[in-house]
Amino acid sequence: MTSKPSSRQSTQRFALSGEFFVPAALSIITLIYLISAIQLGPPMKAGNMTASFFPIATAILMLIALICAMGHALRGKAKAPAEEPAADVDSSDDTSPSRQYAGLSLGAIGVIVLTAGYLLAFDLIGYFVATFVYVLLLSGLYGGGFREKWLTKLMAAIVITLAGYLLFEVAFQVRLPTLWSQ
Amino acid sequence: MDSISGLLGGFTALANPETLLYMVGGFLVGTFFGAVPGLTSVLAIALLLPLTYSLDVTTALVACASIFMAGMCSGSITATTINIPGAPSSMMTALEGYPMQQRGEGAKALGHAALGSMIGGSLGALLLMVMAPLAADVALLIRTPGKFSLIAFALIVIIISQRGSITKGMIATLFGVMIATIGIDVVQPLARFTFGTSVLVQGIDMMPLIIGTFAISELLVQADNRSSRTVDPSLIQAAKVRRRDFIPPLSEVREIGVMRYLKSAVIGYAVGILPGAGGSMAAFVSYAESMRSSKHPERYGKGNPEGIAAAECANNSMCGGAFVPMLTFGIPGDPTTAIVLGVLVINGLQPGPQFMTQQLDLIAPMFASLFVSALILIPLTLYLLGPYFLKIVSIRRDVLYSSIAIVALVGSYVATYSTFQMALALVFGVLAYFLRKQKYPTVCLLLGFVLGPSLEEYCRRALSINDGNPLIFFTSPDSLFFIALTVVFFYFMVIRKPKDHGLGTRPA
Repeated sequence: MTSKPSSRQSTQRFALSGEFFVPAALSIITLIYLISAIQLGPPMKAGNMTASFFPIATAILMLIALICAMGHALRGKAKAPAEEPAADVDSSDDTSPSRQYAGLSLGAIGVIVLTAGYLLAFDLIGYFVATFVYVLLLSGLYGGGFREKWLTKLMAAIVITLAGYLLFEVAFQVRLPTLWSQ
Repeated sequence: MDSISGLLGGFTALANPETLLYMVGGFLVGTFFGAVPGLTSVLAIALLLPLTYSLDVTTALVACASIFMAGMCSGSITATTINIPGAPSSMMTALEGYPMQQRGEGAKALGHAALGSMIGGSLGALLLMVMAPLAADVALLIRTPGKFSLIAFALIVIIISQRGSITKGMIATLFGVMIATIGIDVVQPLARFTFGTSVLVQGIDMMPLIIGTFAISELLVQADNRSSRTVDPSLIQAAKVRRRDFIPPLSEVREIGVMRYLKSAVIGYAVGILPGAGGSMAAFVSYAESMRSSKHPERYGKGNPEGIAAAECANNSMCGGAFVPMLTFGIPGDPTTAIVLGVLVINGLQPGPQFMTQQLDLIAPMFASLFVSALILIPLTLYLLGPYFLKIVSIRRDVLYSSIAIVALVGSYVATYSTFQMALALVFGVLAYFLRKQKYPTVCLLLGFVLGPSLEEYCRRALSINDGNPLIFFTSPDSLFFIALTVVFFYFMVIRKPKDHGLGTRPA
């Protein structure tokens, strides 16, 4: 037996679903952009376009398109059966459906957090340690954890770290940060 | 004569061992990325972009051309054998190739795909060599108002070619234009949208945008996938394929006919010139035309080599056409040529009408690479690696995506030796992930970013030379021509929407 979600829950889910959330978030960004563009000065001066004209025109066009997209999402929501909460069209790209948090799957959140951590560690502890740990954790994330084939993942992390070093530092002479250079 | 000797010089440049190595290496990388479902040749070229800082520009362009050509044909491998197109341009091939695979003719289908790709790719490259100098002469006639209208035409066509999602295409394009306005104004020395930070004064570099849009977003999308390998090993049948099975019978090639190959190549090339169309559109148009004019249309969809030949010939011929607007007008029509434009810009080169004559020695090897990749490397790769294709594309996802992450992120670091570029790549990656999830075409974002500054610059220059009077765009003949062309395209692509005959394709 399944219980119907309440109207409030349904509205909350819809607001967080990507179809409405993406244009809504872009609208906020565009509004900030438009305000900054207006602050640059008048769009026309002595019959000529100034630096603010093009951004203002772009932002206005963008807002019109975003309103259309949000209107389309709302119309879709109104047409959808009441018992079916606004579906997040997230099942693209041959991926299995998974629990979403603000439109992000757990796996995607994991990649973002690991990557952000890697960026912080890259300058602080250098290429080798940061890359090895990052690759190892990513291998776990893409390979379904460490319970299976952990030794392979460990070896892969070492090989990928060394291959990256050889590619960038040796072959293309890119000076990578090292622990001892900090 | 100068241009002929310059073009022939391109083939001589390929004899350089280092250049040859990058061409062959690029081709193999392109084959792998094109064949593995989820990866594309665009991603391969995006990952190559940071390395071009250390590479000679000719070598980088040669590698880009061979990746482009390989990526376009290798999508047919998984399309035929397991009915999963490795690249969107191979969807039409899957319609005919997979039924052939089911009746035990998979190797022959791959042979037809390779032959079509070989003929289409080489003809496209030849047409590029012949037509690009002519197009450059025409480009010289276009003045500032015409340049604005031409770029506006390109952007509008890119948007309206997103059939079924024009609003989303428009949003993505305009967002790309907005990102491009960050930094110093194109006409005055005035910093815009820096929000008080000095790091944004120079504007957003193309590299973190490309890496974020095509590499990081792919990592995020693939994080949802639970399978351990890129292609399920159970789908790969253990049937042993002999190399001679890949050679299509002469009787079938004759039945397809020389005219079919030629017509498909011309269609592909013409579609390639159009902004935003891409390989899948070329394959679709050619396949539909082939079915329309076939003596046996009832055989289509049931494993007809004619359909494979038409689709593969067109999508590979498209590679040559796609370079024409980028090299002669500086207008890339698809992500690959946009990244190639990035390679040129990184090396201080700006394509335009004079580019073909002044820098022919730099780009002739790229033309030669397109031709040699199609004519020699496609059949050679099929012959040598054909029996192992499916084993190669079925690899561990943890190893693959960890490697891509490192090349993408450390590659972003290369440009400025700063983690700010890496952080930007992550931000654009997350943004592109959300856009992709909601079916916003990220290609439009990139092309809006690339073409936005030129659109603004030509618009402002045209108005300033005409005292701010916008009528200049309607009184200048070249501008009027492109406005009329825009109206024609809008009419045929939006008002009189083309039917897809239930073939189930979608734009690139």
